Amino acid sequence: MKKKSVWSLNLSTAAIALVPTAIGINYLGKLFAGVLKLPVWLDSIGTVLASMLAGPIIGALSGIINNIIFGITADPISTVYAITSGAIGLSVGYMSYKGWLKNMKTAVLMGLIVGFIAAIISTPLNIIFWGGQTGNVWGDTFYAYLVSSGFPVWLASFGDSVVVDVPDKIVTVIFSYLIFKGLPNNFISIFRGSEGIEEL
Amino acid sequence: MNSMTLYVDRDSLIHKQLAPLTKALYVLVSIAVSYIIPSLTVALILTFISALILILGKVFRNILPVLALSILLVASVIIVQGFFHPENQTELFRIGAVVFYKEGLYYASLIAVRIINMIMAFGILIFTTAHDELVESMIKKGLSAKIGYVLLSVLQLIPQMKATMDKITDAQRSRGMETEGNLLVRMKAFFPLIGPVVLNSLSNTRERAIALEIRGFDSGIQKNFLNLSKEYHYQAAIQIILWLTLVLAIVWRVLP
Repeated sequence: MKKKSVWSLNLSTAAIALVPTAIGINYLGKLFAGVLKLPVWLDSIGTVLASMLAGPIIGALSGIINNIIFGITADPISTVYAITSGAIGLSVGYMSYKGWLKNMKTAVLMGLIVGFIAAIISTPLNIIFWGGQTGNVWGDTFYAYLVSSGFPVWLASFGDSVVVDVPDKIVTVIFSYLIFKGLPNNFISIFRGSEGIEEL
Repeated sequence: MNSMTLYVDRDSLIHKQLAPLTKALYVLVSIAVSYIIPSLTVALILTFISALILILGKVFRNILPVLALSILLVASVIIVQGFFHPENQTELFRIGAVVFYKEGLYYASLIAVRIINMIMAFGILIFTTAHDELVESMIKKGLSAKIGYVLLSVLQLIPQMKATMDKITDAQRSRGMETEGNLLVRMKAFFPLIGPVVLNSLSNTRERAIALEIRGFDSGIQKNFLNLSKEYHYQAAIQIILWLTLVLAIVWRVLP
């Protein structure tokens, strides 16, 4: 069987059917984190899992559609961050295919990188749309501290995003990694596209 | 079927006379113009127009809880910019040693009004458009039918998964899982909760993929629509006006 490229747009039905599931898992992750009063959101576990399972294209698609759906059903502000979510899916998917899912160490490193990517992409969005803040109490306190000690707005805003995004993304990637490792192998092969459902 | 939506079924001008895509274009233009032109007056006028359309659509009351969600962001912007905006000069009042400035307040109110306008403009689309009608008209405009399927199925899937979640939470609690206590205990409780939902929904995904495949999801044949599309009048004219507004705003901004 021919192995498809990571960037193949020829998506299997199983991979497309994974997108709504990923968005559902995102939503439940957020709900559970709220129920358990965890200090992180964990609202992108589904996106990260889908990227690990089905690659960067499906990951990015899950991220973007996730935020659009939440924009039109609950919170319009989240639509702005569709690009950030898409980038998270893209980077996790790419790194997973490059073999970053070997052990806990690489998973933690992946979380760190994804957190910084998310912060880098959120920063210009935050500056354009709300003058650089995030609406998160800790992040905004840090922002106020940086601006009042004379740092430029873009740097303060980046600091704000880092405080908000990096810890959340590290925990999200670790949790997703642990769940991913616990999945039966036949689940993984279905979504990877090399053994498409059409061959059943 | 139970579905996740904020759509309010009312008999109004906005529900009946505006096509979904016209409303979507309004959302885009209204938000873009409020950010292109850096003027509080313009932002206020746009917010007023959005509020007016919401009132015409008889859904103004529904927007209030959505607005309430963004109160934290708005409050944070006003406080931080009022005290720490880099261009701060004119003192407005002081609390102890820290001074609240006029420039920061002006800047913060511009952002706050833009946020409110963004939410209200979205509200017009969300509250007065049934999502299946919106997605169908997007597919007719050239959106891939597969993406259309994804968009619509998410809205049905989430209530189902939420029901599964309640079941699993009850089951794990009855087995003695601790959901309260220190951070580590709560962190650990996350896995027995999310694990079964993930496994359950992934195996459902596989079944759904087979079911879709049997129904010709992947076939390249032109698909047709189950629902007759509604007829709307004057949509082209309204859309041209909206596009012109956007172009004018850009020209106004680019010209010195």
